[in-house]
Amino acid sequence: MLDGILSGLGTAASPLNILMVAVGCFAGTFIGMLPGLGPISAIALMIPITYGFDPATGLILMAGVYYGAIFGGSTSSILINAPGVAGTVASAFDGYPMAKKGHAGKALAIAAYSSFSGGTIAAIFLLVAAPSLAVVSLAFQSTDYFALMVLGLTAVAAFAGRGNVLKALLMTIFGLMLSTVGTDETQGIQRFTFGMIDLIDGISFLLLAMATFALSEAMMSVLKPKTEEEKIREKDANANLGSMKLSREEVKEMVPVIGRSSVLGFLVGVLPGAGATIASFLAYGMEQRIAGPEKGREFGTGSVRGLAAPETANNAACSGSFVPLLTLGIPGSGTTAIMLGALISYGIQPGPRLFVENPEVFWSVIISMYLGNVILLVLNLPLIPYIARILALPHTVLVPMILFFSLIGVYFVSFNTFDIQLMVIFASAALVLRLLDMPMAPMLLGFILGGMMEENLRRALIINNDSWAFLWTRPLTFWILVIAALVLFVPMLSPFVKRSLARRRETAGEGG
Amino acid sequence: MLTRDRIGALLMLAFSLGYGAMIFNIPLLPFQANQAFTARTLPQALSILGVVLSLALLLKPLRGTAREDDKIWRANMIRLLTRVPGLGFPLGKVLMLCVAMVFYGFTVRPLGFLLATTLFLVASMYVLGERRHVMAFSIAIGVTVFFWVLMTQFLDVYIAPLPTFLGR
Repeated sequence: MLDGILSGLGTAASPLNILMVAVGCFAGTFIGMLPGLGPISAIALMIPITYGFDPATGLILMAGVYYGAIFGGSTSSILINAPGVAGTVASAFDGYPMAKKGHAGKALAIAAYSSFSGGTIAAIFLLVAAPSLAVVSLAFQSTDYFALMVLGLTAVAAFAGRGNVLKALLMTIFGLMLSTVGTDETQGIQRFTFGMIDLIDGISFLLLAMATFALSEAMMSVLKPKTEEEKIREKDANANLGSMKLSREEVKEMVPVIGRSSVLGFLVGVLPGAGATIASFLAYGMEQRIAGPEKGREFGTGSVRGLAAPETANNAACSGSFVPLLTLGIPGSGTTAIMLGALISYGIQPGPRLFVENPEVFWSVIISMYLGNVILLVLNLPLIPYIARILALPHTVLVPMILFFSLIGVYFVSFNTFDIQLMVIFASAALVLRLLDMPMAPMLLGFILGGMMEENLRRALIINNDSWAFLWTRPLTFWILVIAALVLFVPMLSPFVKRSLARRRETAGEGG
Repeated sequence: MLTRDRIGALLMLAFSLGYGAMIFNIPLLPFQANQAFTARTLPQALSILGVVLSLALLLKPLRGTAREDDKIWRANMIRLLTRVPGLGFPLGKVLMLCVAMVFYGFTVRPLGFLLATTLFLVASMYVLGERRHVMAFSIAIGVTVFFWVLMTQFLDVYIAPLPTFLGR
């Protein structure tokens, strides 16, 4: 393991890679700050640039973009109450009130220190957890992988929130359906190609991600023009940020919050399907409860704890979400799904073999996270007042640029103009689905996992002589599937259970 | 009542049924017909799941809060999809942007990267309401040339800069 860490350090500390972390953090902050564009779009926009690099460099750049985007998202949450990223919605609860009181600089500093600590602590966990899990996962067979992917897909739906489980499941199925377009990998049979040559290779994941995220998010921002109030807020944001210094009491208040939220964030991040958004909300809720009734009342009015908790947790969850990606090759979120897609296009198969076959990729990504967090703190904090000016960039210029970079990013990979037309079709469809409030991330995850899931299932069937019995005779597979079923059905059933319990209590009360 | 979720469910139901119907076009060799897993197996399972789930979403009973949410959504949609005095017609802008993108797809080869991209950027800025033409053109040309130099000189990707009739 020490060898690995050292070789990773060697790779990560090369001048090019340090530059890439810096560029990634910077570009990520920039893009993440634009309301509407999240980390998925930010990473998708970077992929075409990374094709010329070697895998470690490319992944380091994308990881930098990922936490840069989360940091940028918190900046716009705090300054203008418009979270650029779902994971930073909770940061606006206390960050924006704090900024409104004239302490914008302080709020940004708290966010930066919390993000830094959360990211760094979680990277230490990752350093320990990932290799040990990778060793265990070497024992996994294709049947277990199939089960794990089912778990990943159901978990995404289950974490979609109340009332959205069905929609998320439906979108997952939609993504899986899209993944079957093209030539069937084992038998070479064409499926759903309508006889078109351009569809024989299937739909490229980059195309789908760009069209359904970057393009449709840009189109959505045209549909929802800014109100006068928002315009004023954006102007105010650039006026005066105030001092960035924290008092000793504030630091004292932050430290235990950061400790607890890092652990919580990391654990939630590791879970398939959860990720930064859920981690930040959970941490916020947990701290509010721990703070007690008196301090808890400050939450929502500019509390230091209320800002530090979600900020720590979302960055910790970002690091945590790399665990399943690097060790099992199964992404737990839309963002890591797109990284998986990028890795596959580099010719690297993420999974337990990654740890053995490409240790430099495995370790350098982990090591680069420390560097990335340092760079975010050192580079971005002093530059925030300048970066925040992007919020004042006119919409009329910004949207065409996003459209151009998305289209050209896909076109420069395939050099097929059909892809541009296909992107417009997908983006329009995604826009309609977005207007209907259908979640898009499960679709992307379904699409990326679809091909792998079918391949693993088929391999499992071949090994088991075309018998489906492995689903219940192989203990590991069976238990993973049981967990998947529980993850899916327990949240669905819990309202019924609660209601029947309440009813029973009522009748008991009446009787007694 | 046709709520937001039910419209989504209907769309997905239609898609799943169409997808299911097209499974019959997937060719199977005679000896594959009896195998446990063929090229049709997963699509069949998916289309059944898609139909079942969209029916479930379609038939899900409406509760009080969902009804309220739907009212808010409906009001928002009416505002989004209709003409607003002063702000123009956002949906029309989106449609025009789509046309611009499709047009860009058709012109990027014959007109060459530099010309097609500049035109696309200027056109989409115009659609979005930018009327400072000098600024629009200078931004478009600047971005196009910068990107072309970056790709061809530093990242070694060849992009034909000029229209086809001027040679490669």
